[in-house]
Amino acid sequence: MKLGRGYLILTVPLAFLVIFFYVPLVSIIKTGLWEDGFTLRYIASVIQNDYHRRVILFTIAQALGSTLLTVALGLPGAYLFAKYDFPGKRVIRAVLTVPFVMPSVMVALGYILLFGKSGIVTDLIGRDPGILYSWKGILLAHAFYNFPIVIRMVSSLWQRVNPHYEEAALSLGARGFSLFWRVTLPLISPAIFASAMLTFVFSFLSFSIPLIIGGYRYATIEVDIFTAIMTLLDFKTGSALAIIQILLSMAFMYAYLRSLDAYARREEQRVFRKPIPFRRGDWLSLRGLATALYSLIVFIFIVSPLLAVIYDSLRFNGHWSLEWYRRIFSTEYNPMFGLTTLDAIRNSLLFGLATVVLSITVALPIAYALHRWDFRGKRLFDILAMLPLASSPITLGLGYIKTFHGTPLYYTAWIIVAAHTVIAYPFVLRAVSTGLKKIKPNIFEAALSLGAREWKAFLRVELPLVLGSLVVGAIFAFAMSIAELGATYMLAKPEYTTMSVAIYKFLGARQFGSASALSVLLMAVSTAGFLIIERIGEEVW
Amino acid sequence: MVTVTLRNIVKARNGFRLKIDELIVENGEFLTLLGPSGCGKTTTLRMIAGFERPDRGEILFDGRPVNDLPPYERNIGIVFQDYALFPHMTVFKNVAFGLEMKGLPKSEIERKVRWALEIVGLTGLENRYPEQLSGGQQQRVALARALVVEPEVLLLDEPLSNLDAKIRERLRGEIRRIQRELGITTIYVTHDQEEAMAISDRIAVMNVGRVEQVGKPLELYYRPETEFVARFLGLSNILELEAENGRACLNELCFDVGRSGRVRIFFRPESVYIMKGDTAEVLDYELLPGRIRLKLGIGDRVILAERFLDELPFSVEEMPERVDVRVRSFSVLGQ
Ligand SMILES: Nc1ncnc2c1ncn2[C@@H]1O[C@H](COP(=O)(O)OP(=O)(O)OP(=O)(O)O)[C@@H](O)[C@H]1O
Ligand SMILES: [Mg+2]
Repeated sequence: MKLGRGYLILTVPLAFLVIFFYVPLVSIIKTGLWEDGFTLRYIASVIQNDYHRRVILFTIAQALGSTLLTVALGLPGAYLFAKYDFPGKRVIRAVLTVPFVMPSVMVALGYILLFGKSGIVTDLIGRDPGILYSWKGILLAHAFYNFPIVIRMVSSLWQRVNPHYEEAALSLGARGFSLFWRVTLPLISPAIFASAMLTFVFSFLSFSIPLIIGGYRYATIEVDIFTAIMTLLDFKTGSALAIIQILLSMAFMYAYLRSLDAYARREEQRVFRKPIPFRRGDWLSLRGLATALYSLIVFIFIVSPLLAVIYDSLRFNGHWSLEWYRRIFSTEYNPMFGLTTLDAIRNSLLFGLATVVLSITVALPIAYALHRWDFRGKRLFDILAMLPLASSPITLGLGYIKTFHGTPLYYTAWIIVAAHTVIAYPFVLRAVSTGLKKIKPNIFEAALSLGAREWKAFLRVELPLVLGSLVVGAIFAFAMSIAELGATYMLAKPEYTTMSVAIYKFLGARQFGSASALSVLLMAVSTAGFLIIERIGEEVW
Repeated sequence: MVTVTLRNIVKARNGFRLKIDELIVENGEFLTLLGPSGCGKTTTLRMIAGFERPDRGEILFDGRPVNDLPPYERNIGIVFQDYALFPHMTVFKNVAFGLEMKGLPKSEIERKVRWALEIVGLTGLENRYPEQLSGGQQQRVALARALVVEPEVLLLDEPLSNLDAKIRERLRGEIRRIQRELGITTIYVTHDQEEAMAISDRIAVMNVGRVEQVGKPLELYYRPETEFVARFLGLSNILELEAENGRACLNELCFDVGRSGRVRIFFRPESVYIMKGDTAEVLDYELLPGRIRLKLGIGDRVILAERFLDELPFSVEEMPERVDVRVRSFSVLGQ
């Protein structure tokens, strides 16, 4: 295909990426590696420092632990979902989407309310279960977020495993565990691996959870950078840490993307087997009891932090009351930030919607270029476009402070939206690109033969076909923006306080009631945003 | 309608090389590209459509080179093997797509879509989505969508190969009828020789990147120029013989070849007539519906003969051990 002036559509996305990702990235690298010339001094001093070294090792260890726990928790569910239809499956499936709309500040809050000194569980068993302010709480919260993903990806692939493979193996004498180990596991391993890698990356870059429920003893690199900059104002150490983090997360992200490709290839298989329905008698069998037990655990695991927060928001001085809600909407009890809760809600919504719009603006032309054109350096372009995925909000915040301090952009709302977009847009790009790959090339050619030019064929035929993926990407972007804490906290002046930041500030002031009430609102807003985007998507279709 | 000319075309891609010196599809003609899998039929079609560029050579529509024209400026209609209907559009929208691209007014679009759907016999299904149609119906939509823009060239790439035998036969008749009615220059790709024979004005037989022979169906069938064409179109007898004084003989079975030296003689089993006599030994036979296929030994060679049962001078139950044979028409193959 001839390109002509087609390249022009990349102007906005490229300018955006350069200004809001690559320039800040370079400024971090410069801060960390440059002082009257190239120097490794700061990197070396970070690595030689006992505390920082422990943080780095702990970050990797907790990510590994989180991944193991997540997979262990998710696999039985994947098996049940792939193989059986049991009563309550729909309920569990719906419950599994809850983590998606629960911002991590809220989960952290839920854990404080459950496991803290005067927490619900602590009261119940009469002693501190030792989960809060330890690595256990961190692992648990990371599993909370990721095991639904393991269930979804693995069960989706498990359903597609051609039953003939297993039947053939059965006929050859393999059964029970050896059947699973030798035949089934290799077939579903791309899904296990991809979801495990995703969990690992998520846990590696996790910020709010270790910040709030890990305390200083269990800081991750992300928390360490945050502290270095925000409390110690030590930009050199912060940058050195950021550089180490970026290098590591780039390697992990690469492994994740590779595993995702393998998974996507396997998923294309069209074999689809129907789950076996449960009969009444099955509940009394071992399998039935195991299913019931597992469903119960999942239910409690997911719903308990949510219920704890809701419960706490409705309890005032030992009785039921809406006092906390009244308080967060009145200014008198609201010394944490100069505005009202309504302002924070408005900020969150505006940033969320702006992030969706900007993410699509950046992602769509790039997805189009990668899909349609063949050009030299395409692979490199692909990698450079996906690199923001390996950056973290705190790193980005640091880069923005270094880059934009003193420019008119600094302390504006735009810079926050830009940060959110850099974080969120790779998900939109990924979703759209995957969707485009699934369209048969014939469809596009048919449009051309009927007189449509390339861009018209894209708008009229291909784009409508990936609208579903685009909506999923948009929902992701929205959810990430709404829940984002680190970068927003670093970059926002008081007027731009979002709900997440406000909750964090309430937590810092140990006003749990207000934090709970606001969390419930945040979750409501995020769910509403979801439904709206999904609705719009359906109507356009 | 136009005449399509391919001249000195070369197209290479990893290990495969397509070379067509000249192929002319006359105005209004139905030409079929026939050949085994991987011989380059689709590649040829895609170059004519403009999805791919030849490395060398020219493609001309009525003498105008179209090499540099993108598909959307070539005024073609194409039907794919898997139909490639737009899954998010109704039948009506699918068919209307090309007209909308031309910017025709709504009423005009409506009229033409009705016309096209009527031609392919799909009136009443306008509001269905492709997934709600049977394979045959989808194929008709694809055909209507290609025809409605009144293309100068209609290209069909194995349009029937995903359908079952009965529907395939019916649809190919309809495609032929519509093509005749509209007089549209058509290039049709298939690897099914029976389909090619039934539907085409002319057939171009292709073999690993080359056009072996172009001709009318019966011409190719009875007078192939190469062994490949002979075998691809049906059961063949090919005898390699030494000719003397213009005649090549296998025992008493002689052929006037009009030259001397080594020749390869080709004839179809149905050109072999059976009489009472003793030139050939009946090695084996097989009964087909209403017909019989005999394996006959003459000297050290074996030939096949095929006859209607009632043409035999004896009944099958009293099959003699030896018979006489006569070959009514044959051709001499090139090397
Ligand atoms: N996109 C491609 N990239 C590289 N080689 C290709 C591509 N498409 C086809 N080929 C090769 O070109 C040759 C011709 O392919 P083509 O599709 O034209 O064959 P065909 O005659 O249409 O076969 P079939 O009957 O199987 O459809 C084959 O050897 C094939 O392997
Ligand atoms: Mg083909």
